[in-house]
Amino acid sequence: MRRTGAPAWIALLAVLGLLVSFPPQWYPRPVKLQLADWFGPPDYHANPPSVETELPAPEAYCPEDVPDWRQAYEIEGVSIAAAPQCRSDNPWTIAASVRGTNNVSADVLMKSGLTTDAVTKGEDTDGDGDPDEIHIRLEVAELNGFSPETPTPVPRYALAPGIEPGLWVFAPKFAGMSTENFESMKARDGLRLPSPAIRVEQGDHVLITLENTHYMPHTLHLHGSDHPFRAIGGEGNDGVPFASEMPVMPGQSRTYELQPRNAGTKFYHCHVQPQVHVMMGLQGLFIIEENRPDNWVQTFNIGDGEVRAPSRAVRENYEREYDLHYTDVDAELNRRIQQGNDVRSITRSMHRDYDATEASSDYFALNGVSFPYTFRESLVVVRPDERIKLRVVNGGRDGIALHTHGHTMTVTDRDGIPSPTGARITRDVVWLATAQRLDIQLNTANDGQGAYGPGIWLFHDHGSKAITSDGIGPGGHISAIVYEEFLGKDGWPATQGVSWDPYFTAAYYQRKVPVWDRYAPGLFSDAGEDRGLNIRLGLMAMFLALLLAALYRLGKHG
Amino acid sequence: MRGFFSALVFLWFSFAPWVQAATGHSHHRMSLDANGATMNANDDVLPRDCSRIQAEHSFEVHAGHRYARDVPGAMFGYNIAEFHVEPCSQVSVTLVNEDEVRHQWMLHGLPRYLYPGGMFHLEVSGGHRRTASFIVPSDEKTYLVHCDMSQHMEKGMKAQLKVGRGSGDFWSVPGISGDLEAGPAARRPEWRRFALEFLAALLVSLLAWRWAGAGRRR
Repeated sequence: MRRTGAPAWIALLAVLGLLVSFPPQWYPRPVKLQLADWFGPPDYHANPPSVETELPAPEAYCPEDVPDWRQAYEIEGVSIAAAPQCRSDNPWTIAASVRGTNNVSADVLMKSGLTTDAVTKGEDTDGDGDPDEIHIRLEVAELNGFSPETPTPVPRYALAPGIEPGLWVFAPKFAGMSTENFESMKARDGLRLPSPAIRVEQGDHVLITLENTHYMPHTLHLHGSDHPFRAIGGEGNDGVPFASEMPVMPGQSRTYELQPRNAGTKFYHCHVQPQVHVMMGLQGLFIIEENRPDNWVQTFNIGDGEVRAPSRAVRENYEREYDLHYTDVDAELNRRIQQGNDVRSITRSMHRDYDATEASSDYFALNGVSFPYTFRESLVVVRPDERIKLRVVNGGRDGIALHTHGHTMTVTDRDGIPSPTGARITRDVVWLATAQRLDIQLNTANDGQGAYGPGIWLFHDHGSKAITSDGIGPGGHISAIVYEEFLGKDGWPATQGVSWDPYFTAAYYQRKVPVWDRYAPGLFSDAGEDRGLNIRLGLMAMFLALLLAALYRLGKHG
Repeated sequence: MRGFFSALVFLWFSFAPWVQAATGHSHHRMSLDANGATMNANDDVLPRDCSRIQAEHSFEVHAGHRYARDVPGAMFGYNIAEFHVEPCSQVSVTLVNEDEVRHQWMLHGLPRYLYPGGMFHLEVSGGHRRTASFIVPSDEKTYLVHCDMSQHMEKGMKAQLKVGRGSGDFWSVPGISGDLEAGPAARRPEWRRFALEFLAALLVSLLAWRWAGAGRRR
């Protein structure tokens, strides 16, 4: 008995210690009420004070336009409109896309970055002053892929600060490296999301050669465009591996053919394991312009957005034209190309381990970027009393309830087919099913319905997910209709209200920055830790250890 | 349609076959034509540390998917993974592209006063070949060789050129060196196999213990 006496007393003491150090805020509600009945409510203890969150240095909102690409250009007979917003396309690439890489001077070709055969334009078969034999070449490029040497992805392409999911795109054929220079890991200009909008003219003989530069099989499916099931050589031309043809294997190429009889806003995408490949980014707008005399169309609109050399038919009715391509990213899928280098493991991970029926999107892009980068390059810039043509495609997993602030939209065409004038509807929310295209007319005359006057008017999906990046807002594909008078010299919109500094840091989208930290310092900041709670938890750990030790002694000797 | 293609082929080959140009803000000596591009070719200017060309080497490098077939998990490759030359050699490279897509043979680490960006670059369209040369300096060094198209180096198109004994090996050269970052997929063990191995080892230990114990009792 004498030997077990000490451990028993120690155990009792430990139990008492546990009870006393137990945090009062964890007492069950009836216990709290009973204690208050007996002793009155406990004394006031101030909550822990706010802690200050260090905000990393934000990126420049609008990096300087070093190559001076924003101004208007006249290059070898191609008129290229000035680009009002912060970031713009290379005007020489636009000129080469309009004239054909076989028809421009060596100097223009060199500045365009394209290869001599990237887009060749041949005979004018209908004698109306523009070429009707068009040969386009597309490669397949990976962005933010795995590197066996560096922990960062390569070549790097960010949707927004710190957001670099693995992506696949169809890319125009550029000569040279995939990065911007020898020291940089960043993808070269033009190598980006989305796959470029492609324009041809109604009735053109179009050849599209898919040069598969990627390490997986791919095809080209001309969704909604008038194309034969078999090409002239008898080979499949619809891009479906189990219905029309073998896919194009890595290192191989295949030429697809079409001579579209109808104009309209169409679509193209890879049709190999489409639940994965289309969602990785292998999809683009395919636009068939109405036939007009002397109608040289801009074959590639790289990165989509404003068409700086619009077709004749569009210029007849509109002051400006924008291509708007919505895509989204399931991080669960897109990270799979960033986890190893063995092609067999990647293939298995993407096509067998990944389950598309459990997919949900985390990141949302308009023309390849998310907010706040959308304000650099995915704006719809207008002036009062203009008619604007928007060609919109939803390349994402879910439908989009597209809403415009300050404007209504008139849908003129659905899936590239014009609606009769009397059946055209005007709304401030339009629905886009997946893969659906809408041609939308904006009218910026300030009449209280079409438009409410100049400003910075958002447009976005009215669903709750796509206005965030992985749940953090503002993010996703929020963009804006901005009147030119609201743009600074550098093309950055003169927004009012709160600072955008947090949005230009990766930390904000990594959930490290309180959302309203800058509104009123301290008011909505994170609360510091409760020291009293931590002391009590430490004491409880000590008494628990003591109790266990005492019980062990009791068990052994008792 | 056939006429259209003949016209295109004619246009490509009549189109400025050798253009000396400075692009944008870089100043590489570049030539671009229908079968590819060359940057920073140099067959006459000696590096500062060389008094004469010590040796001449000529390599015919084949590039394409077929050269990855012997490298499990890779997709593109060269037929030569390592090149050896003497200091101050003139090196002529002919890149033969056996695929139907572009490939490159790009060498990094050359002196920048002679080779802008420190590199020599050959790019060849599918089914074509292209030759150019450069002169290496005298120091014993290993130069990185790769195809800079997105993911081609990562998926097998990587090699190295050693001047003299070189200065070591680069990571991930097929057949020569391993990966620095193998990726979680390669690090993930086969848990089921590990469990079986563990159970087998446990069984053997128990049996051995029992046998040893029985021996002692006898």
